[in-house]
Amino acid sequence: MSHHRPSGVRRSPALLASLAALAAVAALWQPYAPDAVDLTLRNVGMSWTHPMGTDHLGRDVLSRILVGFANTLGAVAIVASVCIGVGMAVGILASSLQGFARAVLLRTAEFASVVPNLVAAIAIVAMFGNGTLVVGLALAAGAWGPHALLAFGLAERARGETYVRAATALGAGSAHLLRRHVLPAILDTQLAYLGAKIGRIVIAYSALAFLGLGADSSRPDWGAMLFEYRLMMFDQPTLMLWPGLAIVLLCVALREAIGWDKDAPARVSSP
Amino acid sequence: MGRILGEVGRAAIHLLAASALAFFIVRAMPGDPAVLLLLAQGQAADPATVAALHAQWGLDRSLPGQYAAWLGDFLAGDWRTSFRTGRPIFEEFAARLPVTLTVGFGAFALALGVAGPLAEAAAARPHGWQDRVLDAATLGAQAVPGFWLGCLLIWVFAVELRAIALFEAGPQRYVLPIAVVALAVLGPLAQVYRAGLREVARSDYVRAALARGAPRARVVAQQGRRYAALGLLSTAAAEAGTVVGGTAVVETVFGLPGIGQFVVDSIAVRDFFVLQAFFMVAVAWMLLASLAARLARRLVAPGGFCDVAP
Repeated sequence: MSHHRPSGVRRSPALLASLAALAAVAALWQPYAPDAVDLTLRNVGMSWTHPMGTDHLGRDVLSRILVGFANTLGAVAIVASVCIGVGMAVGILASSLQGFARAVLLRTAEFASVVPNLVAAIAIVAMFGNGTLVVGLALAAGAWGPHALLAFGLAERARGETYVRAATALGAGSAHLLRRHVLPAILDTQLAYLGAKIGRIVIAYSALAFLGLGADSSRPDWGAMLFEYRLMMFDQPTLMLWPGLAIVLLCVALREAIGWDKDAPARVSSP
Repeated sequence: MGRILGEVGRAAIHLLAASALAFFIVRAMPGDPAVLLLLAQGQAADPATVAALHAQWGLDRSLPGQYAAWLGDFLAGDWRTSFRTGRPIFEEFAARLPVTLTVGFGAFALALGVAGPLAEAAAARPHGWQDRVLDAATLGAQAVPGFWLGCLLIWVFAVELRAIALFEAGPQRYVLPIAVVALAVLGPLAQVYRAGLREVARSDYVRAALARGAPRARVVAQQGRRYAALGLLSTAAAEAGTVVGGTAVVETVFGLPGIGQFVVDSIAVRDFFVLQAFFMVAVAWMLLASLAARLARRLVAPGGFCDVAP
């Protein structure tokens, strides 16, 4: 397939910045203590004082959603940074090396692409304990592979581009070329690919929390809330609504903020 | 034949890498596995018992020797025993495999069966309703968590519609779990297939055929399907990972006694031999999917297309 740059990918840095700012505020301030149990206020419906109501233990649902938002965005930011940073570094390095070293890097990236993300993350987090950094790295353990293969393909193609060859003929150094021409094009495509799959990263993080492997089991997390509230399904179905809606909204917002390439899944060949 | 052997060799090397990773992750874990096992079983970790376990697992040898012993045992079907149940993990997995495979293969078959016709209809009529449904399915795969959808379906069918039969023992138990996992992979599969069909429809090759007077629909149907199937196969291999993760979560939601549920129950007691085996089984499943996709690509396009995704 002959893509040079994803065409028509719109991103919104303002939306991304607002999400980050909102997460920072949510981490520091909630209307109520998210774990404050008040058995006199159980299952209160939506009101001005409790916009999302309270749960079966009288905890303010909005406060719990806010803490979960900060946790989720923090972990997803780690996964995204590792995917793009390591992916680009390995891909470009492989493209500049020859022979055995190149083969080792590419085979490693292929292997990472084969490992199912959620399964690897379940095993790693279950064995090494939790924490935002561990969970983020566990989810990134396999996810960087396709990014590296994509970066490698683009770097190889860039070397053959007429404008790059022309610049070389005019005496431009390879570092300058990389910085001015190759990197921006690769970063653009990496972001579009990340945008196309960022929702899955959010969902994988929530799934870990649902299975009891969230970043911090002592703090509310959307997946963990769903696991707990699913037992209240018969009496309080609305409790299940909020964390699920939060996940869906964050997936859609991140997708739009980063921008996504319609053909992204088609452009990374499976090893 | 040589090519097929090459593919199998590649898969074997990946599997070897996975085994090394699985082994060293467990060895890198903080704590002595024998002590952890005894503590998990509520026994005193006296030195004699610990030493006996070490000898049984070959932990008294050098690290490469340990790995060789573990790999030999693993390939022979000795996957150690579960802390939680005290039974061999291989037996536990084998007993639960049919449940997990039913969900996994059922979801794959359903997703592929719907994705093909949906993508062809969407490619033939841009902005038609099939096109919109496909876009919605793509967004759904990227934004709706399967475990939430599963909970909502339980609420709708069990609580609101009183369709309790869907949760009783029998083949109908699998309907909702299969639907949830299939929905997670339907979007990407249909999206790639549609993209391939559209690319063919725009290609010089089709233009040339049209110029010769061949009917458009027939050209795209004959050549387009073969070309688009290549992309579909690659994506299907990658989506096998979504299926294996999805079954683990869905089994927990719907209470199906599959491998995923067994693994999730093992998390709380850090039953690391179970996690190790699960990782190996998942990677083997991915490699089988990848191998099958590569061989199928050879069948679809024996000579390869000149302008095919790498």
